[in-house]
Order: sequence, then C-alpha cells, then structure tokens
Amino acid sequence: MKRLVLFPAAVLVLVALAAGCGGKKKSASQPTGNKGGTLITLANAAPSGSPDPQVNYTLQEWQFLIITHDGLVGFAHAGGKQGTKLVPDLATSIPAPTNGGKTWKFTLRPGIKFSTGQTLTGNDVKATFERLFKIGDSPNAGTWYNAIEGGDACVKTPKTCDLSKGIVVNGNTVTFHLARPDAEFLDQLALPFAFILPASTPAKNLNIPPPGTGPYKWVEYAPTKEMKLVRNPYFKQWSAEAQPAGNPDVILQKFGLSVESEVTQVENGQADFLANSDQIPADRLNELSTKHANQVHIQTLTATYYFALNTRIPPFNNLKARQAVNFATDRNALVKIYGGPKLNTPTCQVLPPQFPGYVPYCPYTKNPGSGKWTAPDLAKAKQLVSESGTKGDTIKVNTDTTPADKALGEYFIPLLNSLGWKAKPQFLSNSIQYPFIQNSKNKVEFAFSDWFQDYPAASDFLNILLGCSSFHPNSDSSPNIAAFCNKSIQAQMNQASTTGVTDPTAANNIWAQVDHAVTDQAPWVAMFNPKQLNLVSARLKNYTWSPQWYLLLDQASVK
Amino acid sequence: MAEFAFGPDEDVVLAPGEATEQIAGKSPWRLAGRRLLRDRVALGALGLFVLIVVLCFSAPIYAHHVAHTVVFGSNLNGTTRVNGKTVEVIQQGGGKLGIGENPIGPTWQTNYFIGSDAQGRDVMARVLYGGRASLAIGVGSAAICCLFATALALMAGFFRGVTDSVFSRVMDLIWAFPVYLLAISLSTVLLSQTKPIVNPASLWIPTLVIAVVYIPYVYRPVRGQVLSTREKEYVEAAVSQGASNLRLMFNEITPNILSTVIVLFPLMIATTILTESALSFLGIGVQSPHASWGTIIQDGQDLLYTRPWVAIAPGIMIVLTVLSLNVLGDGVRDALDPRAKVRETKE
Amino acid sequence: MTAFVIRRLIGMVLVLFAITVLTFLIFFATPGVDPARQFAGRNPDPTTVAAVRHQFGLDRPLPVRYALMMKRLFISRDLVSYGNQALEVVPAIKAATPVTLSLVTGAAVLWIVFSILTGVLAVVFKGTLVDPLLMILALIGISMPVFWLGEVANLITLDRWHDTFLFSWVPPNGYVPLTQNPWQWFLHLIIPWITLSVLYIGFYARVLRADLLEVQSEDFVRTARAKGLSPERVMVRHMLRNSMITFVSLFGLDFGVLVGGGALLTEVVFGLPGVGKLTYDSLQTLDLPVIMATVIYGAFFITIMSAVVDVVYARLDPRIRPT
Repeated sequence: MKRLVLFPAAVLVLVALAAGCGGKKKSASQPTGNKGGTLITLANAAPSGSPDPQVNYTLQEWQFLIITHDGLVGFAHAGGKQGTKLVPDLATSIPAPTNGGKTWKFTLRPGIKFSTGQTLTGNDVKATFERLFKIGDSPNAGTWYNAIEGGDACVKTPKTCDLSKGIVVNGNTVTFHLARPDAEFLDQLALPFAFILPASTPAKNLNIPPPGTGPYKWVEYAPTKEMKLVRNPYFKQWSAEAQPAGNPDVILQKFGLSVESEVTQVENGQADFLANSDQIPADRLNELSTKHANQVHIQTLTATYYFALNTRIPPFNNLKARQAVNFATDRNALVKIYGGPKLNTPTCQVLPPQFPGYVPYCPYTKNPGSGKWTAPDLAKAKQLVSESGTKGDTIKVNTDTTPADKALGEYFIPLLNSLGWKAKPQFLSNSIQYPFIQNSKNKVEFAFSDWFQDYPAASDFLNILLGCSSFHPNSDSSPNIAAFCNKSIQAQMNQASTTGVTDPTAANNIWAQVDHAVTDQAPWVAMFNPKQLNLVSARLKNYTWSPQWYLLLDQASVK
Repeated sequence: MAEFAFGPDEDVVLAPGEATEQIAGKSPWRLAGRRLLRDRVALGALGLFVLIVVLCFSAPIYAHHVAHTVVFGSNLNGTTRVNGKTVEVIQQGGGKLGIGENPIGPTWQTNYFIGSDAQGRDVMARVLYGGRASLAIGVGSAAICCLFATALALMAGFFRGVTDSVFSRVMDLIWAFPVYLLAISLSTVLLSQTKPIVNPASLWIPTLVIAVVYIPYVYRPVRGQVLSTREKEYVEAAVSQGASNLRLMFNEITPNILSTVIVLFPLMIATTILTESALSFLGIGVQSPHASWGTIIQDGQDLLYTRPWVAIAPGIMIVLTVLSLNVLGDGVRDALDPRAKVRETKE
Repeated sequence: MTAFVIRRLIGMVLVLFAITVLTFLIFFATPGVDPARQFAGRNPDPTTVAAVRHQFGLDRPLPVRYALMMKRLFISRDLVSYGNQALEVVPAIKAATPVTLSLVTGAAVLWIVFSILTGVLAVVFKGTLVDPLLMILALIGISMPVFWLGEVANLITLDRWHDTFLFSWVPPNGYVPLTQNPWQWFLHLIIPWITLSVLYIGFYARVLRADLLEVQSEDFVRTARAKGLSPERVMVRHMLRNSMITFVSLFGLDFGVLVGGGALLTEVVFGLPGVGKLTYDSLQTLDLPVIMATVIYGAFFITIMSAVVDVVYARLDPRIRPT
C-alpha cells in the first residue's frame, strides 16, 4: 500500500522490540490492562477518501475498523510474531482449501451479534461480498475479489451483482468457489474490505461505517472534528486471539490540530497517542529523545522508500544509466534527511528486511558482497554514465511537496547534474503527485514513491510494483511506476505465485531470486527502509504493537 | 510663473521650515525634491533600502569569498571548522534515543554565521540569495502593477463611457476576489501544470500573479485623480486650444497623476514583498531551485524550536526592507504633498 | 438613494457570479487533478476509475458540471468534498465560521481600541518624542509579515519562555469553542488576537493620525477651542467624529476581508480551524468543491462590506456623490 500523505499501511515485523520502551520485550500478549476510560488519539486530518469500510484504504481508519468489524479470518490482535499470523475470526477454523485451491468451506460461529442486536448469518457474508462490487468504487474488487466465481461478471455489471455461484450459503456454512486458485485469498479475507457487514447495508457509499460485530461501534464520524467509538453492548468475546474485548470504554480521534500541537498535547498527557499518519516534526525529536524518551517507541516497518526510474524513456531506458544512479546515490545522506540512522536503514533492493523472500542484497556499493550498503561509488557511476551515452538528457525529478520528500528530490538534482544529465525539479502537491507519476503520458523520468505492505507476501511488493500486468499505459492507476516489464523475471514471478499455493517456503526462495534479479535491472533507486516513531502518553499502559495493524488501540489501557 | 494667479482657494501648503519666498518660482517637482532631500528620516530609509539591495545582490561574493559555501546544492555530509575543530554540519541527535538529525546552530563566524538549515546549507548566504529573488519580485511586480494600473486608469478616466465601465467592472471583479485566494489560486494552478506551458520554477509566475492581484489597488486612486484632473480649468483650456486626446493625456493629465503613482510605488513594493513572502511561505510562491525570504521562513518552520535563526533571520530582513520602504513612501508623500493645490501651468 | 442601493446589490450579484465562473475555470484548467481518481481510492483498477467518473458526473461537459456544482452548493446544499465524502461543504463552512468570527472580532476590538489610542496620543503629543516613537512602532507593525510574527510568537510563548510565569498560561495551539469552555476559548485566542491586530493597529493609527491632523486645522476646531472647550472634549466630540469617516470605511472593508477568510495565515500558523484554514487546506489538496465554496463565501463578504461601506460613506458625507 502506498503511504499517502503520511498515511502508512500495514506492516510486518517478526520481532517487535521497541527500543526506548524501558527495555521491556513485548511478546505475544494476551490482553491485559485495566478496563475503562477514554483513549484520546490525535490526527491532523480525517482519513482521506470515503469512510465506507469497503472503500477506505487508509491505515488510519483501518485501526478503527479492526475493532468494530470482523472478517471470516483475521490477523491476530497481538504484538510480535503472533501479530502476523492469520487466525479464524468469524469462522470456527481456517479451512484447508480443496479442489486445487479453489474451494474454501467456512463454518460460522453461532450467536455472534451486530451492534444492532441482530445475529450474524451466512447471508450477511454473501451480501457483503456482493456489495463490494455493487458500490462500484471499492479499490480491489476488480483485482483481488474477482477471483470469486461470478466476480468478473460483477465487475462488468456491478448493480446486478450476483455471487450465488461463488458463495454458497448453507445454514451456518459458507463455501467460497474461486474461479482460479489464489495463494493470498486468506490474506485478502483478513483485510477490512472483506469485513462482514449486515445484509441490509445499502449499496452506496456511507458516511459512517455501518454496524459491525466487533467490541466497539461507530457513533461519530465528523471529518472536521473527530471520530468516535463506544462499546458494542452485544459483543461477547469468542476468541481472545482474533478479537479480544477492549480496554477503554471510549476511543476517540480528534482532528484539526497542527502536528506540533499534537506532540505537545501527548507529551503533556492531554492526549494518549499521535496517529501514525502524522509525521513528528524534526525539531521535536531532540526534545523527545531527552525529556520524553519513556513515551517513545520505535518500531521497524516493512516498507521501502524509492525513486522509480522510467524504463521506457531516455535516459533510463538504458540499463547502465540506471545502474549509474544507484552507484552514485549516497544513501546515508538520504537517511539523514529522513531523521537519521536510528529511524531509517539504507537499502538497495525491493523487499524490506524481515519480510518473506527477503535475502540481503546490495550490488550498488563500494566493495559489494556483504549484502549491506556502505558507501557510494561515484567513480563507477561516472564511468557507467559515459558508457551509456545518455549524457545531456533531461530528467524531471518528481516528488510531492512534503518538506522531507522535497528535500530528497533536492538532494538528487545536483547529483544527477554532476553525472552529466540535466535535472529539473517537478514538485507536486500530495494529492496530485501519486496518480500523476503513475500515468505514463506524463513522462516522468525520476519519481519519488514509497510502498508499505498490505499483507505479508512478497508478491505484494514485487508483482504489484514491478509486474508486467501492473503497468497500464496512459492511466492514472498504474502502480508499476517504473513501467518495468521483463519477460524472464515475470516468468519467475508467475512460477513463484503458483508454487506459493502449495509450498510457501519454496515460493519464498524463488521470490528472493526475483528480488535480486529485479535489483540487478535497477528499475528503482531503492533508498531506505523507515522505522515508525510512536509517541504515547505517560499514562498509557499495555502498549501493543501489531506488525499488521500498528498500535492496537483497544489494547491500550488508560485507567 | 504665476502659481497664485487663480483664486483664493488655491492655498499652498508649506512644509515646516519653508518660507513662501523660497518656493516662489520653483516647479512642484523641484520643490518636492528639495523637501525630500531635507527629510533626514526619509533619506535614511532610502539609504537602508539601498544597503539591503546591495548586500543581497552581492550574495555570490559572500557565498564564495566569505562563507566558502555552495548555496543551492545539498551538503548533508559536509563538515566545517568551528573554533579550530572540524564538526559535521548535520549531527545525529542525542539523548537516550539518538533520533533526529540536527543542523549546527549559529557559529557567529564567517562560515555558517547563523547556522545551517536541514540540508546543510549556510543560512546567511541563503538569506542574501533569497533577498535577490524577493527584491526582484517585489520591485518587478510593483512596477508592472503600477504601470498597467496607471495606463488602464488613464484610459478609463479619460475616455469614460464604455471603456470606464468595462475596466472598472473587471477591476471590481479582481478586487472582490479575496486577494490571497486569487493569488493562491493562480499560483496553485500555474504550479500544478502537468504539461507546463510556463516553466513552474520561473520567477515570472509569482511576479505576474502578484502584479495582477494588486492592480485594482493602484487603479482606483489613480482613476479618481484622472477624473478630477480632467475637470480642471487648464485642461479645458488645452481642449479649447485644440489639443488632441493623446496630447491631453500625456501633457496635462499624466503629470498630475504622477505624484499619486510615485507615492504609491514604494508602498506597493512593500506590499508585494510581504505578499511574495506569504505565498512562498505557503509553498506556492518562489519554487526550487530558487530561494526567497518566504521560502527560507518555510524551511525554518520545521526547525523552529531547535534552530530558530533559520526562520528569524529572513523575517528580520523583510521587516527592515518593508519598514524602510514605508518610511521612504511617507517621506515622498510629504514632499509631494498632493493636497497642495499648487497649480502647474503650461510653459 | 434606494436606486443606488439596488444598483449596488445587482452589481454585487453579478460580480459573485463572475467570480464563481472564474474560480471554476481556474481550477478546471489544472490537468492532473482528477477527482474521480481521488474518489476511487488507492490503486483502483481502471474500470473502477471510469465507473466513479461516471457516477459523479465528471464526464459531463463543463457548463453542466458547473451548473450541477452550483445547484448542489446553493439549492440542495449537499455538495461534498472531493477529499473525504463524509465532509459536506456547507456544514463545514458553517462550523468554521464561528472560529473565524471569534478570531477576527477579538482582533478588531483590540485594534480599534489601540489604534484610536495610539493615533490620538500621537496627535496630542505632536512635537514631542512620543509622536515619532509611536509612528515608528506603527510602521514596524505594518512591516512584519503576519505569519512570521505568529511563528515567532509561538516560539516564544510555547517553547523558549513557556516555563516562565509570563507565558506558562499559554495553551497549545488550537481552538476551544466558546460554548464549551469560555475561559479556554479566551486563553487560546489571546496570542492570535494580538498577532493579527498588530498589523492593523499600525495601519489604522497612521490613518487616524493623518486625518486628525487634517481636521485639527479646520475652522470649526479652532472655534471650539476659542469657545473654551477642554482639549479632551474637543478631541473626542469634534475631531474624532469627523476623522472617523475614512477609519470606518477602511475598517468595514478590512473586516469584511478578514471574516471572508483573509486571516488565513494567522489561522494556519495558530492551528485555528476557521474558514481561512479550510480554504488553505482545500487549496493544498485541490479540493474543488470546498475551494469554490470558500471563495464564494469570501467574495460575498468583501462585496457586501464594500457595498455597505459605500452606502454608509454616502450617508455620512453628503458631499460624496454615488457614482
């Protein structure tokens, strides 16, 4: 998922050691802490896009949706490695697929109620998936969920979507029939797009999420003021792993303050948490590090920040030119721009550390071989540039206007000029930049972007960002910004995907090779993997960091 | 010539310290010049403004020979010598967590006099370079604005009728559009061009946007002056002598409205400098790779609590520049004293 | 007189209409801003984008889209932001208005009081050091960029000297509604009030001083003094009242501009969620419906105050012929 305007997505971490948390190691935690009180979180702005849970693609809202709604399966609400595991949620158990991976049979737990008091049935499940198509603007309906039989037809004629063939309801059993096997089907069921809504939910975008089965329910969604959850009176805990009862009685997120004021309020205890979507200003880091170190938690993220090189237009349609930039880039300087080595780690490759398929690899450094980046090799870069014969070509360096991102661009412009090209800035406002750089007709040679995982699968990075079918010419929606398409690497990706249905470990080995092969082709200048800085109030106990959902709001204890 | 030949309501207003004999026989322009030269405060302000302009335009000299720095690159891994020791320009944060990267603060020496910004650049040198852009845009847009507004007002006031109606309606439209909104809208659109017709980094964009936005401010008073001058007897006299429209406009009316424009000019420069800094602060004025005082204040926003000088220094420059222009404008107005009903007759 | 008023009102409506068209065109001319793309969320497939475009009527011709937007803004009042569909534009402006009004009214009270004081004092003490001193202060006030002053104020009151008795009472940036907690409302607004009024105190003090000086040499003032009236009475009852015409008309215009969102920089620096901040945020994200609404709102106040001022001026000074 793209971190848009500082809205990060889900993250995978195998070990959530929080540096600076007083040294306590957070293991897979069972809910502890005291019940009661109001958890006050702050965010600069409301989540962007539609509030509808089947449309919204921001982690900011997902952190709330995971405690108001449930899917058939879900990522465990726990910290550490446990938080990356899929556990049964509304279903009694995770089924093994039959029929070559195309049939999945779930049994619903009995007696689960929505916050309106009505009981969950199989019809609600079927209606939920049909609604995914009917509303017309669910982002992944046509890419993930159309694997369900009838899904392709639903994409074409959404209003009359009928998934009776694809989802068969029989009492408490719901059976999914897929048109093709999908190794990531369970992951996709665990995301809020597929959280179960009452069948009576109208098939149009809602301004506040509808009733759900989780321990909390939505009572307010005012984009200029706040969003608010209170306890769901009909909730009875059925699985402490999948959906534990929460600690606070009320969970609040207030909007509108500047990030500077938010930091001050959390430091002073007037609020409990600064939303992960807000970036803590650089000039407060010192103060946090000295006076409020106990309130700060630093968490590793599975994300990569990079510049995409357009592989279809000069100069970067030339492999040597692309490799030259990679050799010339001083990743330490870039790390400094983004807050220093404690918050960022240089990288040369696509996949982030501690991710399935990750094997350290960095050819673009002085003395390569260790897999780690150490220093730029300017001499080699210059040599490659002259060999490429692309000197004098113009390059538009495109970033958004966030100060830190602009600074990254401003680092590259003189660097590219010194290598013999003509680099010019093109800084666009956040809301325009991401769709703009995806559209090939804009011919951006060098574009800033980032990617955070949707769920822990190598294809979520490699296929979505560098696969041939992710490049749509002249479209604002073409996540393969580098326009990269290499037949043999694509064949490897396909092989990894099919292997993944039956043998994930072997698949990950192939993905590692894909990662390295892609890195050799240098469609990106991969820069660094960031860490997340979390600021919480002094009174907040039971801080639980899930690699998938970040801070588990309902586990925090404020009494 | 006989200034006082027309009626008892044509009092001359004397400036303090002047005697009637001293001013008899002198043209209003020379009188104004004399008064201005006598006005120490106004001269001081002019001197300050000139000093600031000179300083800013010698920015390259400062950068190369005094501070030994490159202003438009990035210097993240650079080092510098302070008190004999070599220090990193951007240092890793301290405290328990070691997070963040801090640029060095003011050294009060020739290198990094007031410290570094987040990219490792010498702020003092950048402030001087920024002054070049801010002053160029300020003076340029004020000049363009005054020129166009005067021309339009002249035509509208002189020809009246349809010309006047059309121009005045357009001016009303621009005037009614909230100033900042109009400036911000135009800038945003021009900067978001994805198929650039105009180079978004060009300094002409903020110059022209600001000039357009303030045209009504100059247009209105000048038009009023044109209208009232038109009614004066000497204009009627010239008409009866058979003067053509063009001659009337340039020989009779323009000199009389010139004093209004001359008074407005320094005040408009002050206004345009402030507006440019506001637009640049909001991110839609001057663009990379250029710097202006407003963009440096924006750079300083993220460093406000740790390195406040980055934001304070350009602000002080703006205050001094605008202050000197305001004092100068006052002085010019006192010297010209438009309320003086000194008649200018045809030679 | 009535005819004059009616003509002004008609002119006002025409100007507002022209502004809406102008705004719509300005922002339409920005390629790269595709609201359908924004609505469709993150990484939609192209079919979804096309469907969304059709659903929101974004594939209709320009005049139709303009008419639709105007209808939704004024008639059905359900115009929705491009950034977040739960954000209805008209209620958002309604919610932001009290914040702007609080800021602007408080600052206005401050600047009226202090500019009159300063202007009068400068005239009373003309010839001594007080006059030029006050005028220099006034000049400095109008020479400071308001956003910079605000930043410096934040730096001093919230960081550098926050722990001293001087500023420990200053709350973090933000707004507390009057109805919720009057004391906090007041505390949160003091520094913004002072910052915003500094510019205007300087300006109005100078205007008032110039007008007072002009009036001072008029015959009727000399007569009043000759009659033996005290200087204070002469000042207040005779001089001030006659000098206030310019003051009042300028005040009307400035107040109109500020209420219409002209205090945008102050609101942004102090984190006050008023109309100015709403405007600024919407411009950052190119959120056309909100931009349109805030521009109309701002233009409305400017034109109406302009018309009111013209009418008041004409009444106050019968010498002025309405043009």
